[in-house]
Formats: sequence, structure tokens, C-alpha cells
Amino acid sequence: MTNEHRALLNQTFSTVLEQLAFMFVEVSTEASPTVDNAGFVRTRMSFQGPVCGDMELIVPRNMCEELAANIMGTEPDDEAVLRAPFDALKELLNVTCGHVLTALAGQEPVFERSIPTVEQCDPGEWATFRNRDDTLFVLVDEYPVLLYLNYGPRK
Amino acid sequence: MAYSILVVDDSETARAVIARTLEMAPLPIRTMHVASNGAEALRIMHREWIDLLFTDLSMPVMTGVELISRMQEDALLSTIPVVVVSTDGSKTRMDALMSKGVQAYLRKPFTPEQVKETIDALLKGNDHDE
Repeated sequence: MTNEHRALLNQTFSTVLEQLAFMFVEVSTEASPTVDNAGFVRTRMSFQGPVCGDMELIVPRNMCEELAANIMGTEPDDEAVLRAPFDALKELLNVTCGHVLTALAGQEPVFERSIPTVEQCDPGEWATFRNRDDTLFVLVDEYPVLLYLNYGPRK
Repeated sequence: MAYSILVVDDSETARAVIARTLEMAPLPIRTMHVASNGAEALRIMHREWIDLLFTDLSMPVMTGVELISRMQEDALLSTIPVVVVSTDGSKTRMDALMSKGVQAYLRKPFTPEQVKETIDALLKGNDHDE
């Protein structure tokens, strides 16, 4: 990922997160951030158009309820939050991906995007994901978050 | 007057956001129905009066695009104003949807003011109500 694209990804994610969930992003330079043992949640989706690729978002498990509550304008222990704690994470990725694609490719191209999926990952996997070249590491209200974007020409 | 609105999105979070935004707008809402895909939305529209439909595009079972096409084939359903609510930023796709009868497009994330302006513009002059 070029520095220009890294900046674009960071800017887009920050704007979406602030507008959608009133949460704030800062780029982390920590080499070994502290992560708790509650594990992480990984959501991913792919896209196809003039360029093809995939995007992933990996957040601490305990951030999901706060994110959902903020987006829905309710409390973390609200029934709607507890019923679908990872749904908001998928929605955040979906919105971010749409805006990143527009920022990268403009308003003319049409992209087909998959429906986001979600799975759990442990701290060991998190460390592996963090070291990928195309991963952006940020802090969202002090939660360590990984945002991954990989794309290339249509094959 | 008060409106009967149908919100179609596979994300419970997205449905909650639209509902909250409509509450904040503020707009007179009589009933708010929700559906998680196009097929469910069609079933609701065949049994309930709907003044306005908000729909996402990317959904399992039946997408928003297919839902809009099916509505256009039905004499009654084709009269219901449709607002696409999506993260898609493609002007090409939106132009294509407008040509299929979509009246407005809201890009996520949106503000209560944008929702109110959209509804006011679409339902101006609609005086059906109790």
C-alpha cells in the first residue's frame, strides 16, 4: 500500500467512523500494543469492478457492543445490541468500503460487493494480520483496530 | 398527515439507524414496517398500505435492485416512492436505478436533515391519511 493510499484509507475510515458512530481515530505508532485476551473479531468483504480486492476490519471483541450502541444511539446493554453484537461491525466495514472505493476510483465505475462475513480471531492471528504490508493500524477510542485493504487490476 | 414507512435492509443496525433518524427528523409516522430482504418487503407491501419505501441494495435472498424491478411490474406497487439507502457511490449505478423508478438516493452515513428533506420532497401533496 502506498503512503498516499494509506492516508486515504485512514482519512476515509476516520470520517465514516466519526459520522456513523461518533468514535475517533488516531494512527498508532506503538510497536507492540497491549491487547487483552478477550480476542478479536474479524469482518471481511470483497469487491469487483475496474479493480478487484478485499477489505477487512479487525477489532477487539469488547469494542463491538460499544460500536453497536453508538451507531444505534442506545446503550451497550440494550437488547438490540446484545441480539446482534457483530452486525454493527459489518455495517461499519460496508460503509467504509463503499467510500474507499469512491475515493480510489471515482463516481463512474460500478463495483459489485459481497455481503460482509464475520469470524473470531485470537491475539496470535491478530499479530500476524497486523504485520501485513497492506494493513493500517489505528486506535479507535483507544481500542486497537486493524484495517486491511488489498486490491489490484481485474483479472 | 402521518406516513406508513417500510425500511428494507439485512442489517439490523442499519434498520435501527434509519428508524432513529426518522424519529429525530421529526416526521409524523403512523407505522414503521421493517424487512430484511426484498422478498420479505414484497410480502409486507401486498398486505399493508405503504407510503414510502427505504431500501438497501445488497441483501441476501432478494436484492434491492430485484425488489425495485418487481415493484415496477406491479401496477399498485409501482406507485410507491422508493428511496435507495446505500453505501454505493457509483453515479452510473444510481442513474440506472433512477431510470427504473427510484425517486431518491441517500448515501450512508446520512443526517436526519437529509432524510427529512428527502421525505418532504417525495411526499409533498400526499394527503392520504386518517
